[in-house]
Amino acid sequence: MSDASTAVAVSAPQPVQAARARSGFWMRLFRNPLTVAAAVWVTLLLLAWLWPGLLAPHDPYAGDVTLTRTFEGPSWDHWLGTDGQGRDLYSRVVFGARFAVNSILIAMVVAIGLGVPLGLFSGWRGGRADRVVMWVNDVLFSLPIVLLAMAVIIILEPSLPSAMLGVGIAMATRFVRLTRAVTLAEKEELYVDAARITGLSPPAILRRYITPNLLPSLIVQVAIISGAVILIGATLSFLGIGAKLDDPDWGVMLARARFDFRLEGIWQIVPAGGALVLTVLAFNLLGDGIRDSLGRDAASSSLTVPRKVALPPVVQLHASGAVLSIRDLAVGFPAPGGMVNRVLSDVSLEVFPGETLGVVGESGSGKSMTMLAALGLTPAPGYLSQGSVSFDGREVTFLPEQEWQEIRGRDIGMIFQEPVAALNPALRVGRQLMQSLLVHTDMSKSQARARAAELLAEVQVPDPERRLDQYPHEFSGGMAQRVGIAMALACEPKLLIADEPTTALDVTVQGQTLDLMAEVQQRHGMAVILITHDLGVIADAADRVLVMYAGQVVETASVSTLFSRPRHPYTRALLDTMPQSHRGHGDLPVIGGVVPSAAAWPDGCRFAPRCEFATDQCRTSVPLLEAVGTDLVRCVRHAEFEFGPHAETSA
Amino acid sequence: MTAPFLEVENLHVHFAGRSRLFRSAMPTVKAVNGISFAIEPHRTFGLVGESGSGKSTVARAVLQLTDVTAGTIRLDGADVTRVPREAELAFRKRVQAVLQDPYSSLNQVHQVRTIVGDGITRHFGIKPGPEREQRILALLDEVGLAGEFLDRYPYEMSGGQRQRVSIARALAVEPGLIIADEATSALDVSIQSQVINVLRRVQADTGVAFLFIGHDLDVVRHVSDDVGVMYLGYLVEQGGADGVYDLPAHPYTEMLIASVPVPDPAAQAERRALRQTFKKDTEPPSPSDLPVGCPFANRCPVAMDICTELMPEATAARHGGHVRCHLHTSGPVLAGESVVPYIRSASTAR
Repeated sequence: MSDASTAVAVSAPQPVQAARARSGFWMRLFRNPLTVAAAVWVTLLLLAWLWPGLLAPHDPYAGDVTLTRTFEGPSWDHWLGTDGQGRDLYSRVVFGARFAVNSILIAMVVAIGLGVPLGLFSGWRGGRADRVVMWVNDVLFSLPIVLLAMAVIIILEPSLPSAMLGVGIAMATRFVRLTRAVTLAEKEELYVDAARITGLSPPAILRRYITPNLLPSLIVQVAIISGAVILIGATLSFLGIGAKLDDPDWGVMLARARFDFRLEGIWQIVPAGGALVLTVLAFNLLGDGIRDSLGRDAASSSLTVPRKVALPPVVQLHASGAVLSIRDLAVGFPAPGGMVNRVLSDVSLEVFPGETLGVVGESGSGKSMTMLAALGLTPAPGYLSQGSVSFDGREVTFLPEQEWQEIRGRDIGMIFQEPVAALNPALRVGRQLMQSLLVHTDMSKSQARARAAELLAEVQVPDPERRLDQYPHEFSGGMAQRVGIAMALACEPKLLIADEPTTALDVTVQGQTLDLMAEVQQRHGMAVILITHDLGVIADAADRVLVMYAGQVVETASVSTLFSRPRHPYTRALLDTMPQSHRGHGDLPVIGGVVPSAAAWPDGCRFAPRCEFATDQCRTSVPLLEAVGTDLVRCVRHAEFEFGPHAETSA
Repeated sequence: MTAPFLEVENLHVHFAGRSRLFRSAMPTVKAVNGISFAIEPHRTFGLVGESGSGKSTVARAVLQLTDVTAGTIRLDGADVTRVPREAELAFRKRVQAVLQDPYSSLNQVHQVRTIVGDGITRHFGIKPGPEREQRILALLDEVGLAGEFLDRYPYEMSGGQRQRVSIARALAVEPGLIIADEATSALDVSIQSQVINVLRRVQADTGVAFLFIGHDLDVVRHVSDDVGVMYLGYLVEQGGADGVYDLPAHPYTEMLIASVPVPDPAAQAERRALRQTFKKDTEPPSPSDLPVGCPFANRCPVAMDICTELMPEATAARHGGHVRCHLHTSGPVLAGESVVPYIRSASTAR
């Protein structure tokens, strides 16, 4: 079994990239033993379909002329016994695969041939054509499949092919629905607009753009529906309107067990029924297996995760009086080949009551990961490999999840980037606001509701009483973010963490949101950590700033120092690239390249490959975080630089 | 003065509310309400406004992706308001686009070779082969991507690299106009400036005209020669990019400027003070239920009685363009001057 799977994985003669993606799929597919078993069974089925003589020792139609060896149980000659005419049941079961696979082929050709083009047409055209197609389709869909098959049999002739024609038509309705749904969804994608703008014709777009995206779900459906087709075929044969009474069809064999009226005949149920059950099961398991392996993220779960790590002792002490203090935090992700990618290393920060700490850096710099790791939410398979976290004077690095849940939501409020997505679309806003109040305080329902209205009023949502009974989709992005802030405030947290809270909002709404956060902070005196990639937002709202690059802190400073005298070349480069820093229309300064992935971080200074000031020393020696007054900077050459205020220099 | 490549005249785009069984007819959404502008070759026109201002609908109308309710769109003098099917291919060769989301605007199942090459095959009849390969490589080079990107799939590239591929795809058919609809909005600032520079170089090399749509006035001003400020389907102010930015004549333009935070704490404190003069808890009216008067009146800190009664006409502004605001003809009669001193004095007087 496993031989078969590895052979498939290795022999794919594709270009390297595609082969890698594909072998990932096969590896995932055959990691599940049930899927392997199902695949083996389906392979046997196909073998029996192509060359039944290879597997079957006897002629399935030839009985025992002497009629002495009828209704036998399993024996050396007849592994699965014989039927009423002394025919070898095992051979009949093998030959039965012919009927089963033929049924599937006929039904699937009809179902896909009709269903997929109709679904594509219906979904793409929309409007009246779509309504007519779907109306007819729904009517057919609601009819029992066996009934449709019978109708076709009555019109044509009672045979397995005509029965399967009917089944195919019935199954086509499933494919119409699936294809139309995928087409409708894909049609809205920007790349379809882009294809139209390029000038591709609708048939070309359907064939080259939409169909490939349909294939995965189509394959899964084919596997599952194949199982159903076999079952229906057997049912029809059992009823005597499918295969002929003499044929070694599984359904007919089941029927014979009934017709033979002898207790010994009962055994016939076992081989035919077993084949039927196993085949249907195999198709369903294979369908499930394919569906599960098509998920992109499934691979990570195969990597081994160290359960408990012995953390090295932390040298620095926690800042006293800080709400949150992080020391030397490091997070590792297991990588292929037993390696570990350190996505965070030596991150230390602290934030005090009433203070706003801005954390800034490009995407991939580790800003959000730092917060997740500090709050006990390191995403699997990542793990804390070093460091210590103290919240409100209490060591929380390895707090059990249950105790964390009490702290998060009560003492720590979170605001997210996508305000509408952060709310549950199925629950009224009022109920979501009340939830954390009911969990974390001993308020009654009516008290919680009154408090929820108060909170909405505090974040300046007009008409709070009415808004409580509305659903999230009735809120604009800005109003939804106010609800997000209200939820974060519900239990008077000591710390508010805002992860890109304004990135998804309009600029005008961004300003209002920042003002609201500042107001709320002043009133409640909590500490705020503001994560953003926008230095403008930092200049607006932060007191102190932490600049991160490639999983490390590269500079910390007060907001005025950071902008008037940036010390790290990365900070300066970030400031320079902002269009706000330039009056003219000339080329903007850029930071060449991108933040490298954690697997490819350079040995020396991680910013060196993109730094215009990098020397050989930068590329070889690892820079440490050095103190300059109350600020910190991670650059071996920082003392040589005298970066002034960024503005207007190169306009 | 060269003749404009794109002229949009009095464009209206309304979406009729569909009436459904058991449901009352939905009101018509008036997304674009009579806007006019023109773009010459080698020049960039910037459209700026909040989400829901109708700026992307303008792009979709020009791109024939949505039906025009009224008005005219001309390309190189010829009417292209409604392009008949047989002329569509010729139209597509002249107008291309770079769309907002670098993740969903490229099909995951195709390599860069196909994404960029499709247009070459479609419009120049060059089948996949060495000649097409040469062209694709030249295009990738133009947008600053190495030849190894030919075999890449979108999921193997960063957001900035994907947007470069989108630009190469647009350039492949040698168009006269490229519409960049929020093409840099989803990118990191450092990457955004890379892509902006690529756009600038492409324009210098090919003379293509750009319609650059964005919500960040600082970015739009930087890339554009002229800008139009959109609010609820109306062009409330338009003119030279620097003029509009330095002497904004419409309070909404000033609100947009004041809202973009600048990376300088002292200057930002000033901007913050200015932005706080604008009303906080009023939302824009719905485009399906537009007010009689100025659509900005309910959010405007200096609105007068007339503003809720009458839609202002366009008047000349000091910066050389024009503005639709009653302040310039009634009340303080600013006569096209910058609105900033008036808003400041009005807010301190309160």
